[in-house]
Amino acid sequence: MISFFRVIKFAFLDIGRNLSLAFMTVLILVLMMLSVNALLVVRYLTNQSIAYVKDQIDVSVYFDPEAKDEKVNEVKTYISAFPEVTNIQYIDRATVLQNFKEKHADNKEILSSIDELGVNPLGPTMIIKTREPSDYQKIIKALSVPEYDSVIQSKTFADTEAAIKKIDTITNRVEQLSFVLTVLFALIAFLVIFNTIRVAIFTQRTEISIKKLVGATNWFIRGPYVIEALLFSAVAVVVTYALVYFSSKFLDQYLVVIFGPTSTLLGYFQTNMVMLLGVQFVAVFLLTLFTSLLAMRKYLKV
Amino acid sequence: MIKLVGVSKQYSKQSVGVEDIHLSVDAGEFVSIVGQSGTGKTTLAKLLIAEERPSKGRIEIGGWDITHISQGDIPLLRRQIGVIFQDFKLLPNKTVFENVAFALHVAGERASRVKEVVPLVLEIVGLGHKMRSLPTELSGGEQQRVAIARSLVHRPKILVADEPTGNLDTVNTQEIIEILKKINEFGTTIVLVTHNREVVNQLKKRVITLQNGRIISDEHIGKYRL
Repeated sequence: MISFFRVIKFAFLDIGRNLSLAFMTVLILVLMMLSVNALLVVRYLTNQSIAYVKDQIDVSVYFDPEAKDEKVNEVKTYISAFPEVTNIQYIDRATVLQNFKEKHADNKEILSSIDELGVNPLGPTMIIKTREPSDYQKIIKALSVPEYDSVIQSKTFADTEAAIKKIDTITNRVEQLSFVLTVLFALIAFLVIFNTIRVAIFTQRTEISIKKLVGATNWFIRGPYVIEALLFSAVAVVVTYALVYFSSKFLDQYLVVIFGPTSTLLGYFQTNMVMLLGVQFVAVFLLTLFTSLLAMRKYLKV
Repeated sequence: MIKLVGVSKQYSKQSVGVEDIHLSVDAGEFVSIVGQSGTGKTTLAKLLIAEERPSKGRIEIGGWDITHISQGDIPLLRRQIGVIFQDFKLLPNKTVFENVAFALHVAGERASRVKEVVPLVLEIVGLGHKMRSLPTELSGGEQQRVAIARSLVHRPKILVADEPTGNLDTVNTQEIIEILKKINEFGTTIVLVTHNREVVNQLKKRVITLQNGRIISDEHIGKYRL
């Protein structure tokens, strides 16, 4: 127990007497964690943008004005059964007509033609949304059966099919790229931290061997470095998250305009804080610990 | 106290540290090991503190066969043998007090005992007034005296001094040798590795001469003959 407290005391003494080295180590850890977190922000923004774009895509099914309600409901029930479908919005004939009139409010010719007809020439409309843009093809195929030919006048998907395919390809590529970038940044962070700790241990190689020659056990020598790794990791995580917090708060005032007030960057970090803090703390601590023990091994062979 | 039987240390096919060393040192002896540079003096000192392992032969320290000593037992051995080096090997970021205390800390000594023993030992080597200084603030002679104080805190039965005066001027050399003689008078066995002719001749103690890794002479009241 005496040795345990001494190890803690030596760790604090070492930090106090090597403040510049401690500062540089923490600074490198913070910079590396910031780069990883910056990439998390990029991934978050990419995902939000992709979700936003995907949300704009839907398929409108225009029914024949003569289509009977039972038949329209049958189509609705049939489509709802698909697990890919996330939302179906049904617009009745009267609403369709009203929307049409509002849309063409400045075109008097169209409005007077409608009035001249005396009856509503428009059928009900169904707006379908699916999980992925690629799912629309399946829905369209399901609707293109002879059974529904008489009730469905047209579907808009054919017009936007090429655009949807393109968006699908782009979003997939962006997701892949952001994943590759995350892995690359994590690798760079790993290598930079690994070398920083190695250099820090290298500068103390003489001290390590002296301690060994004086009769210290390997764990008595390693102990302070374990405590230091723990402290450096904790400080680095706290500093990084303080910076991430204020940066997110700053960025959110611009992001709210694009994505709305429900999905903020700060909200993302706050919701996932325990996981992000935990994972990053454990990763940085294990990395610094593993590296320092590995780098020290050579100098302990005295 | 120290027994080496047929000890050889070979680093590689071309590089031999020591070869077929047969040596016995009794308790309380003061032995100088002399020889030119590269004759294996330091290798011999390293073998005694298990910094090197013999390629052949057997080494006993105080009846403990350390030939195949385990990594875990090395700290225990080093707490029983005091060692001083030519380059002092002091911890640069620790004060004089902390450097000496460190040898007690590693052995798990109580804080009260550390506070009691360290100033006492520093007084013996004449550095009681410099306890709070860092090694960089001391002269070479003072640094070596701190190293001696550190090696003494365990009250070792054996003190191995590897070229302790190699970096010192004549006055400091004399002071260090006087301290070693005093330590020896209190019963500690001293193994002094040196190539300082004057020191060896002045001591008038046992001298073992090495050449090309082998003992070529062992005289009970010897002189530097190379």
